[in-house]
Amino acid sequence: MENSSAKRLDFVRTNEKSDNSHHHYKHHHQIGHKHGEGSAIDYYAYASKIRGWNPSFKVAFSVLTLLLCIVLNNPLVSLAVIVSMAYLTVVKGGLPLGAYLSVLMIPLTFIILGTVAIGIDFSRQPIGQFNLYLGFGYLYTSIAKLKEMVFLMMKVFGAISAMIMMTLSTPSSEIIGVLRKAHVPKLIIELMNLIYRYIFILLDVFNNMRNSADSRQGYCDFKTSCQTFGNVASNMLVLSLKKANAYYTAMEARGYEGDLVFLEDEKPFQISQVIYAVGFMLFLLLLWYVTK
Amino acid sequence: MREPILKVNNLHYSYGTGNPALKGVSVNIYNGEKIAVIGSNGSGKSTFFLNANGVLKADHGEISYQGTVINKKNLKELRKNIGIVFQDADNQIIASTVMAEVGFGPMNLKLPREEVLHRVDEALTYMNILDFKDRPPHYLSGGEKKRVTIADIIAMKSEVIIFDEPTAALDPLNAQMLEDVLVKLGQEGKTMLISTHDVDFAYRWAERAIVFDRGKIIADGTPLEIFKNREILKQANLKRPTMLDVYEMLVEKKMVKNTDAYPTTPKELKILLENNLYYPESSVPMI
Repeated sequence: MENSSAKRLDFVRTNEKSDNSHHHYKHHHQIGHKHGEGSAIDYYAYASKIRGWNPSFKVAFSVLTLLLCIVLNNPLVSLAVIVSMAYLTVVKGGLPLGAYLSVLMIPLTFIILGTVAIGIDFSRQPIGQFNLYLGFGYLYTSIAKLKEMVFLMMKVFGAISAMIMMTLSTPSSEIIGVLRKAHVPKLIIELMNLIYRYIFILLDVFNNMRNSADSRQGYCDFKTSCQTFGNVASNMLVLSLKKANAYYTAMEARGYEGDLVFLEDEKPFQISQVIYAVGFMLFLLLLWYVTK
Repeated sequence: MREPILKVNNLHYSYGTGNPALKGVSVNIYNGEKIAVIGSNGSGKSTFFLNANGVLKADHGEISYQGTVINKKNLKELRKNIGIVFQDADNQIIASTVMAEVGFGPMNLKLPREEVLHRVDEALTYMNILDFKDRPPHYLSGGEKKRVTIADIIAMKSEVIIFDEPTAALDPLNAQMLEDVLVKLGQEGKTMLISTHDVDFAYRWAERAIVFDRGKIIADGTPLEIFKNREILKQANLKRPTMLDVYEMLVEKKMVKNTDAYPTTPKELKILLENNLYYPESSVPMI
């Protein structure tokens, strides 16, 4: 995996180009969002120790967990889901805790911003259990409202961590395979496969172009940056058309005749995993029944 | 005379822009030949390869594979039996795992799943990359990607393998690995065509060299014949192989006897020097 770790470092390096470059080394495992997080997630999925689990099982399990988390609408259930999904991803999957939190940070930001509006309100009169005078009006809230906000946050967070468990342990190609088995239209499956492969090629091309523009002072001030961005974008379009042609040629040379079929690895179902999963669902239901 | 495996007769091809890329190419390729295709950029080598594989359809001329003239109906046969390893691995790799990638060709041949799996394992073992089976191509290095693209073609079990500038963009270690694979494939009797700008490589590896210049074949013969012909080299803008220069200088300066056993590698030169020196061995410094 020597090569892959080098690649990972490469992500970090290119990510930080746009940040101020003073803290080059401190950024490495910091919690928080970085550009290009998408490709980091892809890398984590390949490195996950539970990648060998049957992908259909993982997809079904995380979708069912997500549904239960939303339908049961119970803070304890949400908490159980959050904890168990973190356990699966970090302990079973072997993902560093820092990396896991860093991935969660993106949705978390949105959740907090979205739920604050539910918990805290604004009024001209001093109402509510707590209020804060701002000079032109009052920010007010109450215990009940705060509770509602926290419970909602936990519910959404639980649902998201179930999805993230899936994405951090199942490479996209396998998820596409599951969708194919679920009879999603062939055209969409083929497009997904091609787009997924293409993302990385275009990212490479884009990085090369950006670096070469950067080395020629293409980003020296705002106006030049805008111009360079436009040039890079139009060049990307031309290049992708060319690449698409080259691709088609290469596919035809290997006997492509209009049907894009890939060989998929078949990972066996493990009965024990299914039993655990069913047990977990029952536990969630029981938890909901007891505390409702 | 044995029957050629691939017979190309008076092939003309021009791209959409109207510029003719091939102007009457005729060549016979025999089973098990190791052919270097040389010529400057834009001389028509790649176009010729794509025509030979049936991806591009010639304006004029015909191609026969093992005595059968290729038409629309048996085009698939041609693609199955003639594989191309493209110059840029990123233009060839299409799937998102190495296994799916190498299985792409056999899947298109509509082979049963068991057979495809077997061939994928075989091809990956052949290229010594079985460990990469589950890895996505975007986490492989350039040399590793090249191996995957060669495994792609090995898995299809093509009779003729075409390599389009395989050594371009490879480091010396990977280039050596590639040459070892080429030698191994040669020993197994595969017919190979390799386009290259590396004249030293062409000189030591190939049994036959074909020189392209502006859409035509201007020379066809053993590498030695071609590289000794200064006129052709000048016309096609080619360099002479270093070993050929060194040998001729040694002969000219009367340092070795002219035996017509042209060495193509430093190792062969060493053997030659040990056996054919003009002077008694004691008076020569150690090599």
